[in-house]
Amino acid sequence: MAWNQPGGNGKDPWGNRGSQGPPDLDEVLKKLQAKLGRMFGGRRGGIPGGGGFRFGAGGAIGFGAILIAAIALWALSGIYIIDPPEQGVVLRFGKLVRTVDPGPHWRPRFIEDVIKVNVQTIRNQDIGFRRQAASVSSVPHEALMLTEDENIVDLQFNVQYRVKDASNFVLEVVDPEITLKQATESAVREIVGRNTMDFVLTEGRAQVAAEAETMIQEILDRYRTGLQLTTVNMQDAQPPDPVQEAFLDAIRAREDQERIINEANAYKADIVPKARGEGAAILQRAEAYRQRIIAEAEGETDRFLKVLDEYRKAPAVTRERLYIEAMESVLAKSSKVMVDVRGGNSLIYLPIDKLLGSRPGSADEDSEIGAGRDRSVPQTSRDDAARTRSGLRERTR
Amino acid sequence: MNRAYIIGIVVLAVIGALSVFIVDEREVALKLRLGRIEQVGYEPGLHFKWPLVENVLKFDARIQNLDADPQLYLTVEKKNVIVDSFVKWLVQDVERFYTSTGGSVLRANDRLQAVVVKQLRDAFGSRTIQQVVSGERAEIMDQLVLALKRQADELGVAIIDARMKRVDLPERVSQSVFDRMSAERKEVAKRFRSEGEERGRRIRADADKQREVILAESERDAQKIRGDGDGRATEVFANAFSKDAEFYALYRSLNSYKNTFNNSSDILLLEPNSQFFRYFKDAQGKR
Repeated sequence: MAWNQPGGNGKDPWGNRGSQGPPDLDEVLKKLQAKLGRMFGGRRGGIPGGGGFRFGAGGAIGFGAILIAAIALWALSGIYIIDPPEQGVVLRFGKLVRTVDPGPHWRPRFIEDVIKVNVQTIRNQDIGFRRQAASVSSVPHEALMLTEDENIVDLQFNVQYRVKDASNFVLEVVDPEITLKQATESAVREIVGRNTMDFVLTEGRAQVAAEAETMIQEILDRYRTGLQLTTVNMQDAQPPDPVQEAFLDAIRAREDQERIINEANAYKADIVPKARGEGAAILQRAEAYRQRIIAEAEGETDRFLKVLDEYRKAPAVTRERLYIEAMESVLAKSSKVMVDVRGGNSLIYLPIDKLLGSRPGSADEDSEIGAGRDRSVPQTSRDDAARTRSGLRERTR
Repeated sequence: MNRAYIIGIVVLAVIGALSVFIVDEREVALKLRLGRIEQVGYEPGLHFKWPLVENVLKFDARIQNLDADPQLYLTVEKKNVIVDSFVKWLVQDVERFYTSTGGSVLRANDRLQAVVVKQLRDAFGSRTIQQVVSGERAEIMDQLVLALKRQADELGVAIIDARMKRVDLPERVSQSVFDRMSAERKEVAKRFRSEGEERGRRIRADADKQREVILAESERDAQKIRGDGDGRATEVFANAFSKDAEFYALYRSLNSYKNTFNNSSDILLLEPNSQFFRYFKDAQGKR
């Protein structure tokens, strides 16, 4: 155990004290010698100086000397030291008289007893598991406990404590440290039993530990164990081994859920803006079409109106000219066969395929009936109109 | 002479030793004179007695720990639970303690344990596991303390506390609890995944819908715009062409001919009797 058994004889005061005693001790001895000498040995004992002990010189003197030595030994053996982390509980004939702090002290041996208790060192108790060297092994019957919803959780606690009150620790309870363990188990199980598994395993961990600390301390005080908790750590809060896999899978499922949703959101984030872009493109194309079609219409009608103006000045001629130009253009570009056999009953053989092969196709750009643009390099319409007029004049002659 | 002194001192010492006793802080003591209880209630310290005729019994005065083996109890649903409890007590009335147990801590423990077993059996027999584990745990412990206190007076002890440590299911039942927990987790896992799938599909469908709607609306607006354009173009055409419908017909027809026959693969079989060929055979243009 951490504290010495009553009597504290394990540490021999002689060994510790050594050189500190002698000066005072000599005086004490001399005084004692003097007193005892007067009592027992009459005159002789009073001789001052270094007469020393003369064993065997006379019965009374010898007896007195032995007695003095015995008393000296007794006095010396009463010296004890309390080490810094300790406190001493002093019992006089079994009755608690005081507790003493670290330092050298003296007590009358056989009358007073000292029990040393280490009150500074933080002690440790593991519940639900045991440490052996580096490895940690679970203790199921301590670790597994029922929750409110009749599930079983696996909790591992580590309780740290120190002795608060040395006299209570020594005097009041049969086994304070077993009591601590009982209190811890009892408190933790009571608290866990009041809560659901989910709570205990997740957000309630800290709360369970905190409640346990309060409850354990309260129990320890009620039992006067003299112990003070310093920390209650919940080392581990898990579902029990047999269901571990299912729990992990549930956690993975939650992740999967997140993942599936995120993927869907990513899909959405991908296609919706694209669709918006495409929609805008459609509108732009439509707008382009609209503007184009209007512009074309305006262009076309402009052109028509120009021609119409001129037409009105000389309708017959212009009509004729336009017709002939159009037919010219048509016939110039097409393959044609003139059949000038009126009412003939003879069959004409026309090898169309050969006709097709004989002339290379001549695609033409936009050359509509108009101001004779197909006969000249592009010019402004006003010029065209003027030219047309002059041309018309020529032809009418 | 000296020898007599020594003998005298030794005898006195022996008598002295026999006539004092020490009561430790951790003990309570009882003085018997020839088998009859003479005095109790000693303070810790040094006390005297007559040698030989009186003797002193000392008992542990510290808080005792009764921590028996776990016991099985049946709950109201006929389920077994393992219960591990402990009782903290101390000797209060030395005289009664001595007479009722012979001063034996073990015997006192046995008596108290019997009370614990009976009390817990009653308490568990009228409650469900759920109540035992959570709801009425404190109540059960309080009642246990009360029951023990009734017995305690008889034993001359004081009950400091009684608590349940473990309230657990037996091994075999535990296994079925584990199975149930696993099944629950599997259900939860399935639900998580399915709900994820559900929301994922909703989101995708919504996205698809949005895309369709956006495109369709754009198409609609586009058609409106095109229609507007067409309308405007038609209006422009109509305004212009209605100025001379007959000429327009000519103009447009001629353009159309040109556009239609503009390739050498267009083969025209012609008779020279159209206006175009008026002069083809006759410079006077006569028929």
